[in-house]
Amino acid sequence: MPLDTSTYHLSHALLRLDGRRWNELRRLHAQISTQASADGSSYLEMGNTKVICTVSGPGEVRGGGGGGRKEGLERENAIVNAEVSIAGFSGVERRKKGIGGGGGGGKGDRRTMEKIQNVIAAAFTDIVFTHLYPHSTIVITVHILSSDGSILAASLNAATLALIDAGVPMKDYVVACTSGLTPPAADIGEGDASDPLLDLRGGGGGELRFWGGGGGGGGERVCVCVMESRVRVERVEGMLAVGVDGCKQVREILDGVVRAQGRRVVGSVVRQGGR
Amino acid sequence: MPPTPLPTLLSSSELSYLHTSLSLSPPIRPDARSPTSFRPLVAETDLLPTANGSARLCFADGTEAIVGVKAEVERTGVVGKKVDLRDSGVEEDIEMGDGDDKTVGSGKVGGEDRWLEVTVDIPGQRDDDAMVVFLGQMIFEGLVADGEFRGRLVVNERWHWRVFVDILLLSAPLTYPLPLLSLTTHLALLSTHLPAPVAGLGKDDDPLFNDDWDAAFPLYPSAYSKSRAKASIARPPITLLVISVGDNIFFDPSHAELAVADAVIAVTIASSTSENRNDGELSLLAIRTIDPPSRLSSLAAEVGQAGEDGAWKPKKGGMSRSVLRKMVGMCVEKGGVGQEVLGGLEGFT
Repeated sequence: MPLDTSTYHLSHALLRLDGRRWNELRRLHAQISTQASADGSSYLEMGNTKVICTVSGPGEVRGGGGGGRKEGLERENAIVNAEVSIAGFSGVERRKKGIGGGGGGGKGDRRTMEKIQNVIAAAFTDIVFTHLYPHSTIVITVHILSSDGSILAASLNAATLALIDAGVPMKDYVVACTSGLTPPAADIGEGDASDPLLDLRGGGGGELRFWGGGGGGGGERVCVCVMESRVRVERVEGMLAVGVDGCKQVREILDGVVRAQGRRVVGSVVRQGGR
Repeated sequence: MPPTPLPTLLSSSELSYLHTSLSLSPPIRPDARSPTSFRPLVAETDLLPTANGSARLCFADGTEAIVGVKAEVERTGVVGKKVDLRDSGVEEDIEMGDGDDKTVGSGKVGGEDRWLEVTVDIPGQRDDDAMVVFLGQMIFEGLVADGEFRGRLVVNERWHWRVFVDILLLSAPLTYPLPLLSLTTHLALLSTHLPAPVAGLGKDDDPLFNDDWDAAFPLYPSAYSKSRAKASIARPPITLLVISVGDNIFFDPSHAELAVADAVIAVTIASSTSENRNDGELSLLAIRTIDPPSRLSSLAAEVGQAGEDGAWKPKKGGMSRSVLRKMVGMCVEKGGVGQEVLGGLEGFT
């Protein structure tokens, strides 16, 4: 349960509640190619946030009636769509689903989901070589199985892996992590002493949220940057630096996962060839 | 009946070949399985930290489902009388109730069916889509059918557990998804634990629970457990898809086999709880007939008209009673397929 984070201060504690230092990520574990029936799929854990992502496509524009179909045929580039679903059992409390329409605590949820969908779709439209697939769509489906903060970051990382599994050419990995600020230590009276933190957990009360995603080039190009709350402008640079640094670590881990999968695939091909 | 997605891509002569080889004696399945053998499946349980119980299951055809079970404590009205929970200051909205506030006649068991809630989520389908509602209802009915399940949810006279079973189909529904969802639900419920009430809890007290997760007791106690005085053999039900081709009966049909089936039924079975049954025989909870894909396809009409040799012609009419009896018998008999599947699933937890 969330302890009182309002009184803790990095210069005193040096460690966060879960025992991490300010610049440490949570355990990041990922699997690629988890589902046989999907074109591309991945499973990603960032601490207790667990996400499954499947990619279908690039394929023909499906359904959507006559109008949608026509629109798809004219297009020069592929479109990237994202669908995010947050499972009812993902949080500590069960999320109520509006059965029969309109009920439950749907509105806030739907807004978060739509925001995540839009961010994912926009980010990958930039990074994927969409011009190679005219008249087609790529659908990224993200299932959030367990949420403990950084949902958006986990979704983006999982989507990167699933797209790689699907063999969709991309300029680079899109990797993401969150960064935030410690609550200003009012009782110490230093005023401005709030430090940036990397990879926030859910429910860490009092922390300012900021979310940064890096990708492209040497892993230093920021392609997505979402702020969840207001911060003073002079804090942004520090948070961004911490975020980009975290993204580099994430990138290394994801790269390891992809390379391991590559070795497995090549190994199985070689073994079959030897027969 | 729910729509069967995805028409088959086989030509009519391929279907004819398949139908012939399946109706031989002994039959030859395309993947050389025996009629009762299942394809390999991958399963894991207890994978979600925030759920009371969870399971993930992947079938050989690549379809995958995740089920999470969550439990909440809720205030009960007065047991044994007709109660309207809406008047007793409970904030929970009642979604399953439909206005029919069923109370149980036998005071021994107690509990109400609506303490269990099953939701099915299939990507790309609306929540109120006919197929989604149908699948959820079928699994719900199977779970409450033994009449004993709701008794487990009673904490004391004033409090009870409310159990939410959220079923998530992760892949596109390639074949009829009911067996997958039902087996996953089975596994998730087997791995479900509820926090143990602290000792000495009176029957009117507000519930206090032991915060040690190791002390939690399973919703379905294992037959071998010694923790509870009365080890129960009750198990969540499973639904198996059975097809018949000619006089032959096949379990776990692949997509191609479904396409040429004469009859498709979904059989829901559970281990019997009443003592007077022969030990080891399973009880039959439900049989649903499912329209075989062959009748829905446009191919059926075309080929039926042409009637040429070597082309497959779907069988007209229903299934014979003897075939139905054989299908059900193979599921429920002692040492039969049903028992084998239940035993196999037990091994996962």
